[in-house]
Amino acid sequence: MTILARLEQWREQGAISPEQHSHLASLCRGEPFSLFLELNILLYAGVLVFVAGLGWTVTTWSQQLGDVVVLAILSTILAVCFWYCFSRAPAWSLAPTPASSAIFDYVLYLGCLVWCVELAYLENRLHLLSGQWDFYLLATAVLFFFLAYRLDNRFVLSLALSSLAGWFGLTISHWPSHQDAAYRQYALLFCLVVGLGGLLLQRRGVKAHFFGTYLNIVANVLFWAVLSGVFQREGYGIWVLALLLTCGASLAWGLRRRQFVFVAYSAVYGYVGVSTMLLRDINDFTFILTYFVFTAVAMVVGLVLIARRFGRHA
Amino acid sequence: MRLYSASSEETLRARKLLADWAGEGFLTQEQYQRLKQETVCELRTTNIFLRIVLFLFTLISVCAAAALFLSVFLPHSSDQTNGIFLLICAALSYAAAELAVSQGHLYRYGIEEALAVCSVGFLYAGMQAAFFSGTSYSPNPNAFHSLVPAVCALFSLWIWRRFGLRYAFPAAMIFAVFLPAYWTSSHSAQHVIVSLVYAIGLIGVIAVRSRQHSDYGGDDYSPAEAFLWLGIYLAINLQLSSLDLPPHWWGGGTRAVSEFASSFYWTTWALTWLLPPVGLVRGLRRKDRFVIAVGAIVTVLTLVTNKPYLGWPRHTWDPMLLGILLAAIALFIRRWLAHGPGGIRAGFTAARLSGKDKQWMNASSAVFGLMTPQSITPSPQTTSPGVRFGGGASGGGGAGGDF
Repeated sequence: MTILARLEQWREQGAISPEQHSHLASLCRGEPFSLFLELNILLYAGVLVFVAGLGWTVTTWSQQLGDVVVLAILSTILAVCFWYCFSRAPAWSLAPTPASSAIFDYVLYLGCLVWCVELAYLENRLHLLSGQWDFYLLATAVLFFFLAYRLDNRFVLSLALSSLAGWFGLTISHWPSHQDAAYRQYALLFCLVVGLGGLLLQRRGVKAHFFGTYLNIVANVLFWAVLSGVFQREGYGIWVLALLLTCGASLAWGLRRRQFVFVAYSAVYGYVGVSTMLLRDINDFTFILTYFVFTAVAMVVGLVLIARRFGRHA
Repeated sequence: MRLYSASSEETLRARKLLADWAGEGFLTQEQYQRLKQETVCELRTTNIFLRIVLFLFTLISVCAAAALFLSVFLPHSSDQTNGIFLLICAALSYAAAELAVSQGHLYRYGIEEALAVCSVGFLYAGMQAAFFSGTSYSPNPNAFHSLVPAVCALFSLWIWRRFGLRYAFPAAMIFAVFLPAYWTSSHSAQHVIVSLVYAIGLIGVIAVRSRQHSDYGGDDYSPAEAFLWLGIYLAINLQLSSLDLPPHWWGGGTRAVSEFASSFYWTTWALTWLLPPVGLVRGLRRKDRFVIAVGAIVTVLTLVTNKPYLGWPRHTWDPMLLGILLAAIALFIRRWLAHGPGGIRAGFTAARLSGKDKQWMNASSAVFGLMTPQSITPSPQTTSPGVRFGGGASGGGGAGGDF
């Protein structure tokens, strides 16, 4: 039975009203057909490509244009973007607030990205904070947190969190193995600060809908940090224990809140960590393959049981 | 041909729509709970995260099992023996996938998908090892060798129809890309053959779709048609057909001109301008989201590759102009639609009608937000103060070079 036939049947049974039937049937037929997602992607791509070109242009032509002209142009774009956003921002509220116009979010994105370009330009040309470049990241994180909470924007919150992570020294590309321990400590501190901060704000009802973003970022950074400890040649026992605890917590949270991405995190990160530990000094290829056969089958069985019990239509 | 009955799939579709409508407030919770009882289906589904993880672990277990058997029972066997064993694995994997659906009633569950994918992989490796392992590489085309990608392409198409796995269709298209290299050494002929194969596929899909009377937009042939449009475009756009070409874009696209006959080169250039509007118009007329998306993507690709095609130099501000153009088009369409009666014009609206759109926006904004600053923020300065402004890779998609 097609969905249109079902809708007709439900209308005849009185399960839905004639108005609902008419509305839902038209949605099924694509009347009207929504271009909401496509237009938003186009706008986002436009902003991103524009800023890419802007960055490329200022790096290439800075000698000819001069620092003053470049900074004046960037500052003007920045000022216009933030003026637009703050002049049209809805009154601040603890609850989610919708954007005042269709382009509001994208003007904000443009402002945030131009801010990054301008800071990068300032530091690389003028070396204002030479040697302490990471304060830019902290300043950026503070600004983006303010903008995210004032203007209720999840994208800017993600920018803020990754800038803060950068300030904590978590840039993945700068995670050399010989500094593993130091970076791990920073990562754990980041998880603690961000996790507690997110939790506190959620408990206080301050933009509680942001909590999912905090949790996802903290979970991934925490798993990476703990896994890096498991990968150590020595003294990894405590990290294995930490990994098991983290997996347990992630699994429990995922099942309890029906957020199955956390179940997936615990399964994948846990499997990688435990397999690394168990196969650490084993060179027998046959044993390794046997291990993968049996453990992968066990994981499949376990996950099927979880899917049957909890994850059918979530 | 299809493993799932049409009624089962319709029921699942109805169930998803009910959840979406309830989330959007088109149905009350009481209505949703009541109607949900009427969309009970025997097929077992799961959510996307468990599906991905189940796919991953099934893949690991099947590949490890095959490797284990090879290492224990056939440690020093010839390539032909290994190939035959892999062909047996392909048959077993396929049978297991069929069994998982027919007996286990799995639907997009990860397990049956991984088994089907393994069967294609084993088939490819098995045929290659069993029939062509001893043959040395020859620069001359050998049509007999094209048997492997041809069979795998057909088998992928079978998996696509049988299991309804959308990604099996582009897999078949990728196998088809390798076919012409076995038939001719002429690059121009290879482009033409791939385009023709895809064009024949497109005509077939369009013919099938014209006979279908579906009351929902996302039928199986929609992504297939979109992939074929994209495939034809990629095959004819000579600036995109080689992975080492992008560096040549910045210095002017003169290389492609010298590689191909002038008439062929300029015909493909004309086609790169002709195809996007055709695809876009078809997508809009059919209200087909996938085809519209591909039409938009190939339009942007045409704009991006036009200068290299013509051999004109690129300017640093080209991306800025493109960005302004994209944003202006989006804003114009949005405003034009919004000013129609009820925010609707020609059956289109810029308003959000589905909760899925919002989920996509939230998820992608979080992901892109995390990725973007990594490429914008300055790197630690370990070199002398005289180091020049490096990268300026702005907006996550920018240039990476020093100046």
